[in-house]
Amino acid sequence: MAYLDNSVVTVDAILTKKGRELMARGDGSFQITQFALADDEIDYTLFNPSHPSGSAYYGEAIENLPLLEAFPDESQVMKYKLTTLPRGTARLPIIASVSNVVLKQGQSQAITPETLNYLGNNNTTENNGYIFTVADVRVASLFTGVGINNDEATRLNNITTLGTNVSKTVIGTSLNITSTTVNTLFGDRTQLTTSLTIIGRDSGARVTVPLTIKKV
Amino acid sequence: MSFKRFDAEDIAISADAITAPVWSTGAPTLTTFKTSSIQYAAKNQYHVNVFQSTFTDPDAEVQFDISYADKLGKGTSLYNPSVAGKSPSSTIYGQYRSLVLGDEDSDFVFNADTISENFYVISINRSRFKEKLLPGTFNLTVGGLTLTDNSKDVTVVSYKDSGRVYNVVAGTNGSGGTESYGWFLPDIGTILLDATKLDTDSTCTMVDTVRDLNFNNTNSKKLFDALESFQLNSEETITSNYVFVRVRNSEFNYSVNPSNITGSGDLRHDYMIDAPQAYVTSVGLYNDNNDLLGIAKLSKPLVKDFTKEALLRIKLDF
Repeated sequence: MAYLDNSVVTVDAILTKKGRELMARGDGSFQITQFALADDEIDYTLFNPSHPSGSAYYGEAIENLPLLEAFPDESQVMKYKLTTLPRGTARLPIIASVSNVVLKQGQSQAITPETLNYLGNNNTTENNGYIFTVADVRVASLFTGVGINNDEATRLNNITTLGTNVSKTVIGTSLNITSTTVNTLFGDRTQLTTSLTIIGRDSGARVTVPLTIKKV
Repeated sequence: MSFKRFDAEDIAISADAITAPVWSTGAPTLTTFKTSSIQYAAKNQYHVNVFQSTFTDPDAEVQFDISYADKLGKGTSLYNPSVAGKSPSSTIYGQYRSLVLGDEDSDFVFNADTISENFYVISINRSRFKEKLLPGTFNLTVGGLTLTDNSKDVTVVSYKDSGRVYNVVAGTNGSGGTESYGWFLPDIGTILLDATKLDTDSTCTMVDTVRDLNFNNTNSKKLFDALESFQLNSEETITSNYVFVRVRNSEFNYSVNPSNITGSGDLRHDYMIDAPQAYVTSVGLYNDNNDLLGIAKLSKPLVKDFTKEALLRIKLDF
């Protein structure tokens, strides 16, 4: 992975692994309709409001950061999204009540996140629900969003993958997950590990937790 | 909200013609020509692979092939001595007759009223010519004679079964004489050179085609040995998807980056409560299912606050 030439501002674009899979399907699912911005790689502790040269230099250390090229793995990019909130916001929404998920083979669990600091509420479930993304869908025999009843949620729940190591995304206020019973995925290992990312659809709050499947 | 939908005018599709030198060296002209002893030993009666460097070099790639075609099967060994006229050279002749003329009863007539029974074929490697050859860029010097296509001299383009056909003439950069030395076929990346014309031309001294019956005269190697320089460009149509990302001043000014907030969600720097700043490094392109289809990285962080708007153009090539 190389650094990008930053002598001029350029945009280096690639398709993700998921994008290539959907393009290969040719079923119309490869259609760009929306975008999000992220600040992966930025370390805000470098922001210096005490800079002796004044406010124009507070972000000097960040603005000179050389950026890496894009990763094609969709689970390794767009981690920290920028969000639109009213000016004067002092606390940003965060997702609580979700920690490491550990399941035995074939075990089911419902995961119901809550959002703190959103619209002045301490704990709230977002009206438009959450986006749940598992980085490697092979570890789950069931991965279904519940609580949001619209066409989009239904379509996402019904999407099947090709048995390859790609992500799957669903939406809902809760996630029902059942771990895989397929032994061959484990090989010589006693557990499989991937990641589960939860993003608030209204707030943009995000959390990624490890998802571990233990072989029985 | 973290996602913003594109408007219809934010996504534009454009098709652009891209031209480039054919050769993997990146240079417009190839002056070093090498063969593979392994390939030559096995297949020289059919074709000779031509590399830009010694074939054992890690970066050696086949640039083009040379074949010899003969209607009567001369110049190569017969498949079966008791079956006259059936040899690798007649196989190659039939192959290009089908490909270029499309009619088994047609003959190659490079110059009016003269049927050409034998010719050389220069077939450019597909990965090198990409989609098609660019007329007007073909300059081949062989045995002291410089040949080009006549694309700049003709006003009406001729077509055969293999697409556009230009005459190969003595000259440079798409313009030259009127006598044809063969055909330049840009749509199939192929050049046919009339063997008889090369042999009889007083300028071209090094190609001496031999047409023995039932004998391998290694004619392809004769043309190879006469090569001096070869200039050629490819042409490819690239379909690009231009995506315009428009960010208004009031949008995307806060970040949920863990280094920007404390564990309880408070902004790390009080200064940012009234003057929030975010630094854009990535643009994610999503479908309606929230699948991340494409990712664009900026070369340097872009400051975003309530006083700034951003317009980013992302180009996706297919």
